[in-house]
Amino acid sequence: MKNHTSKLKRFFQDFYLVLVLIFLYAPIATMMVLSFNSSKSRTQWGGFTLDWYTQMFDSSAITAALYNTLLIAFLSAAIATVIGTAAAIGISSMKRIPRTIMMGVNNIPVLNSDIVTGISLMLTFIAFGISLGFKTILLAHISFNIPYVILSVMPKLRQTSKSTYEAAMDLGAGPVQAFFKVVFPDIMPGVLSGFLMAFTMSLDDFIITHFTRGAGINTLSTLIYSEVRRGIKPSMYALSTVIFLTVLTLLLITNFAPENAQKADAAGTGRANGTDGVFGKGGKRLTTQQIQKRKTIKKGLLVAAAFCVVVSVCFSTYKYYLVSHSDELYVYNWGEYIDDSVIEEFEEETGIHVTYDLFETNEEMYPIIEAGAVQYDVVCPSDYMIQKMVENGLLAEINFENVPNISYIDEKYMKQSQSFDPQNRYAVPYCWGTVGILYNTKRIEELGVPAPTKWADLWDPRYDGEILMQDSVRDAFMVALKSLGYSMNTSDVEELREAKDLLIAQKPLVQAYVIDQVRDKMIGGEAAVGVIYSGEMLYIQEEVENLGLDYSLEYVIPEEGTNIWLDAWVIPANAQNKENAEKWINFLCRPDIAKKNFEYITYPTPNKGAFDLLDEELQNNKAVFPDVEKLKNGEVFQYLGDDVDTIYNEFWKEVKAK
Amino acid sequence: MGQPLIDLRNITKTFDGQIVLDDLSLAVKENTFVTLLGPSGCGKTTTLRIIGGFESPDKGQVIFDGQDITKLPPNRRQLNTVFQKYALFPHMNIAENIAFGLKIKGKSKSYIDDKIKYALKLVNLDGFENRSVDSLSGGQQQRIAIARAIVNEPRLLLLDEPLGALDLKLRQDMQYELIRLKNELGITFIYVTHDQEEALTMSDTIVVMNQGYIQQMGTPEQIYNEPENAFVADFIGESNIVGGLMLHDELVEIFGAKFACVDKGFGVRQPVDVVIRPEDIDLVEPEAGTLVGTVTHLIFKGVHYEMEVTTPDGFEWLVHSTDMFPVGKKVGIHVDPFDIQIMNKPASEDEEAVGVNE
Repeated sequence: MKNHTSKLKRFFQDFYLVLVLIFLYAPIATMMVLSFNSSKSRTQWGGFTLDWYTQMFDSSAITAALYNTLLIAFLSAAIATVIGTAAAIGISSMKRIPRTIMMGVNNIPVLNSDIVTGISLMLTFIAFGISLGFKTILLAHISFNIPYVILSVMPKLRQTSKSTYEAAMDLGAGPVQAFFKVVFPDIMPGVLSGFLMAFTMSLDDFIITHFTRGAGINTLSTLIYSEVRRGIKPSMYALSTVIFLTVLTLLLITNFAPENAQKADAAGTGRANGTDGVFGKGGKRLTTQQIQKRKTIKKGLLVAAAFCVVVSVCFSTYKYYLVSHSDELYVYNWGEYIDDSVIEEFEEETGIHVTYDLFETNEEMYPIIEAGAVQYDVVCPSDYMIQKMVENGLLAEINFENVPNISYIDEKYMKQSQSFDPQNRYAVPYCWGTVGILYNTKRIEELGVPAPTKWADLWDPRYDGEILMQDSVRDAFMVALKSLGYSMNTSDVEELREAKDLLIAQKPLVQAYVIDQVRDKMIGGEAAVGVIYSGEMLYIQEEVENLGLDYSLEYVIPEEGTNIWLDAWVIPANAQNKENAEKWINFLCRPDIAKKNFEYITYPTPNKGAFDLLDEELQNNKAVFPDVEKLKNGEVFQYLGDDVDTIYNEFWKEVKAK
Repeated sequence: MGQPLIDLRNITKTFDGQIVLDDLSLAVKENTFVTLLGPSGCGKTTTLRIIGGFESPDKGQVIFDGQDITKLPPNRRQLNTVFQKYALFPHMNIAENIAFGLKIKGKSKSYIDDKIKYALKLVNLDGFENRSVDSLSGGQQQRIAIARAIVNEPRLLLLDEPLGALDLKLRQDMQYELIRLKNELGITFIYVTHDQEEALTMSDTIVVMNQGYIQQMGTPEQIYNEPENAFVADFIGESNIVGGLMLHDELVEIFGAKFACVDKGFGVRQPVDVVIRPEDIDLVEPEAGTLVGTVTHLIFKGVHYEMEVTTPDGFEWLVHSTDMFPVGKKVGIHVDPFDIQIMNKPASEDEEAVGVNE
């Protein structure tokens, strides 16, 4: 009976443990599985592949970021360990009150939110005229790593009795000798785990790196984040898997090393307190072996660390000689927004060394350009942001004599860009696209609904629970405003209120407000219709075909008109290499290059020369290149000012809350 | 051997404005076992640390074999210390611990190996070379700490309450070991303890300290039998200390009763302190006693009975006797003249035994 209950208890204990583990690790496991999925979809299994890993290691951006990440993590951890250990020794020999104060001061950066640390570091660097780059990231990482080292060394120092140091002095050792021969080996586990903790913190950090990095330098975390907007590529799952495993390994080592030491310590005190006779019996052999093992691990780690240093130093020297820094160009672009080989070709052809850097959102790019912390030569923002930059005098006029290939850009896109650049003086269109409705042919047939043609169709009650809306304020309001026949750039509160009520009325039909997942959910056949950016239509259609699904997904631009977005190259007013920037723009306008980029990015290109080089089938793909008259009522997002933004946000909150 | 091995001259030391040692002078002869004895906070450990070089005095000089070593760092002094908590190096095995000082001095490997063997034999721990510190008992660790110090052939060995952390049985065994070591090695020991029994057992000379002052210095017998003031009398063993009046040489009046004694030279009708050890009081029939009192307390202590006898003036006399007198019985108090120790009243407030009850 008793046995039975204990078995039951045991079962629930195990069950609970398993639940906790699943809860913690299921997401990571999912990501790992997806990193081997040959389909880009997040819901469909397309077979096992290692392609994403190959792609990851082939990508120069990823390998460079990996190298930066490891080098920064290693250097910052090593330097922080030296400084932190010295500081910990200093603090531990203080009197009680100053020591408590110092430890408090030390804990503040640990508790402080990363964003505050990051911004304040960035401001400090700018204020002291230190240009952002590798060294600023390194400095930032050292500074946030030091407290962790102190926290990890301190307890070891407290355990170490001061008398061992004095004993060493007493036996003839000088202060330095006494420290390295006696104190240091004793606090070694603390120093080591401090180093590894600093290394992991540095490896993990995104926010502080994000604020303190400069042009052309990415760590893995900033690189991954910059990919987010255009949809995360599966090679990023592969990368994240590798990072996770690295961190896991380090943590295992960190926990393993000190645990061993503590065990021996505990055993020691246990026996010291015992009442063995003066002539005690033989001690346990095991302890000596344990110590031996501990020493071997320590030695192994030291060798590994030294190896890392040598490799990084060699690699960086090699890289330094490989790159000639004669002619420079600093490019600031969206993630996944260029074919890497295009950059290489440009460098080969012009001899200009390109420092290529990524941003994630217009809003993030803007303050960087405005602050002038990093002097980029050429940037690729979106429509409304270009308008804002022009208004604030952040852009330089382009000398079109240096950009003869501008003639390949279709006249109508030049006209389109006049909505934010009235005289076509600042911007050269690069990519464009629309927002429309994606629908599942088979599903709407089952529901007995005709194919949608206008935004108003999204209020058809037969779509109950079948609609996917964009989870972003301007996009959602665009749908409602356009269906009411208003401008999507309206600042009229009454019109906005009407649009808000309409969105609330639509809510029962909406399955979910999502962003990226519209693509995967539609491919997976989870909904009948979805509002989507046209950019990845080519990919979606290919994927449906590859998976052999029994339905097709069609894209339609609603009659009421839609959001036409346009990204264009501009040159910041503080650019140092303006002519190189113009060479860059001219190069990208060349039809063969534009075609190559189009094939990589698959967003519609405004380059007529490139368009002419495409297959007829592709040229006629209405999902990619819609009919001109469909765009008649199209608009480009405009910057509306902060006050209007606030109204939008308040109404949006109401919609989401209902 | 006229010149002392270590000579402390007018040492003053303060911590945070608190005077720990006040103008202390102490000379220790070569090849003696000197114990600094006193309650905690009396300055004995500070004295030892000043000799070892771990603290520097605010004022005064430390003379070692005629040389002023006041400013010499610990690693350059020809002496070694055995620390209270052993301070063995936990990451080294026993042999490495013992070899530490010799390696620093750059001795040859064969010399070091011989020394390790010799030292381990000396402390009765042969064959412990490869053991880890953790695997040793407290007593064994203590021996290794001593071995580690003596292989350096110091002329002076400082021991800071080395037996404090050991249990009673082990402590007693180690006391004999230390005496044996001192005799075999012929080096000078300065030993710090607060345990008076330990001090009486081992020392050639005991230095009783309190409040940063030396209260009395002498052989164990002198310290025990002829305490110079109430603090020493009370700190060393148990005693009855009463105020008395020295009527003239060899006669003292206590609570109105006249006691014959052997002390001279205190003057006529001078107030003095009188020390009488509890075992020196004989309890007799009331009519045969110099003073008369009542037994108020009785405890059996094994070797003897411990009794309290209250005299009419209210003083409670502590008496140790092998004869038992039940509580409530009237008894007479008799003391032989040579068992009465007369002391001067403390001359200044500073010297007064403030810490008697510690």
